[in-house]
Amino acid sequence: MDQDPVFQQLVTILTEKFEVPAERVRPRATLGELDLDSLAVVELYVTLQEHWDIPLDDSAATGELTLDQVTGAVSELLRSRDHGAA
Amino acid sequence: MRFDQATAVVTGIGGCLPDRVLSNQDVIAAGALGTSDDWIRTRTGIARRRHVDPCTSTGDLAVAAGRAALESARASGDAAEYRDPDLLVLATSTPDHPCPATAPDVAHRMGLGTVPAFDLAAVCSGFLYALTTATALLRSGACRAPLVIAAETYSTILDPQDRETAPIFGDGAAAVLLRLGPPDHPGAVLAADLGADGSGHQLITIPAGGSRLPAHRPGADPTDTYFRMQGREVYAHAVRRMTQSARRALEQARWTPTAVDAFIGHQANQRILDSVAERLGLPATRCFGNIHELGNTAAASIPLVMADAAVQSALAPGARTLLTAFGGGLTWASVALTWPAAPVRWRPPQPPPPHQSATRPPGSPAWTRTPSSSSS
Repeated sequence: MDQDPVFQQLVTILTEKFEVPAERVRPRATLGELDLDSLAVVELYVTLQEHWDIPLDDSAATGELTLDQVTGAVSELLRSRDHGAA
Repeated sequence: MRFDQATAVVTGIGGCLPDRVLSNQDVIAAGALGTSDDWIRTRTGIARRRHVDPCTSTGDLAVAAGRAALESARASGDAAEYRDPDLLVLATSTPDHPCPATAPDVAHRMGLGTVPAFDLAAVCSGFLYALTTATALLRSGACRAPLVIAAETYSTILDPQDRETAPIFGDGAAAVLLRLGPPDHPGAVLAADLGADGSGHQLITIPAGGSRLPAHRPGADPTDTYFRMQGREVYAHAVRRMTQSARRALEQARWTPTAVDAFIGHQANQRILDSVAERLGLPATRCFGNIHELGNTAAASIPLVMADAAVQSALAPGARTLLTAFGGGLTWASVALTWPAAPVRWRPPQPPPPHQSATRPPGSPAWTRTPSSSSS
């Protein structure tokens, strides 16, 4: 997971844009545990949509999601897109 | 849309605010809301807002703002033929009555005779929709001096117990007078972008009181006549649409983001405004707003920022200004214009005409039928 480019990008956004201390960013941490409130979670999702150019469903964005789960949702959409384009 | 020859020029700006100031604590206490001053400030950027008294309507604010705009135009010394409005557009989502439109009554009370007057309903994008519509009518030759007013009394449609909306919205009105002029004149409207997506109509709505769900239908829930908003979902749409629309307006105006001297976004939520400004690459020093003091005044929010004394003193006539809004519908709009030279004027709410002053019981939302009104 630590070498996954999707996870790495998520870490970069969380630490740079949301100013989450790097030592708190762990795959099993929830967005809520990182002090993202509900609007910040939506902002994160919009940022991920723009960065990866994918239709990530922001209506499903909640603070209970772990970084693993967010990474998985992004990766799944990227796989679908790549598969569709192939 | 790009307006590169004769276009609308703002020659007068007027505003009207109710006197009554409500702090966050006042709103929390009124609705027994399970929230705090800190939560509201952190989530929205709002510290206080204005509410009308129970007998003051949107039309009362609109008349005052319209008159203030005409005083502004007189003070700017423009030719007399451009100081008499020959068309009135009122942007509002809180009209005095579901029927008829409020604009004709506003025109009548302002003494404008029988000029064409109509309401324009684009919720929080209303002012920019109205400004663009008036610009097009002006350029077509349909009018000579259109008066565009944006007026709202959201306090009349808010559920005081709804934490999602009660702290957010406030009341107010502002107006601009337009005439045809060259694009290099201060106050010239240079480009516009409008859009809508009805697939999200349920995100910002008053569920009952229209033909879909008449308020008098047996079994209707009286609380369905309150305004409702799904704030979290709206956030994502607002950020995306405002950013896209602002970029399109900039492209039409042939401005780069670095060329923008002033950005005034619809005062929906400070975090939405910050997010849009960040995406556009606009530093905070070029972003202007009043959400801290007035909350979200819906259609009136952008012209109220334009009328703000602090903004007026910070910007010189001709400054390149980008206006961007998002609202129920869903609707969005952006306008690129140069900063007007008109001196702002303010007026207090116009007292209602005597025959209209007691149509609403104190404290009751405008469109909510009460047991006593139903049985009488």
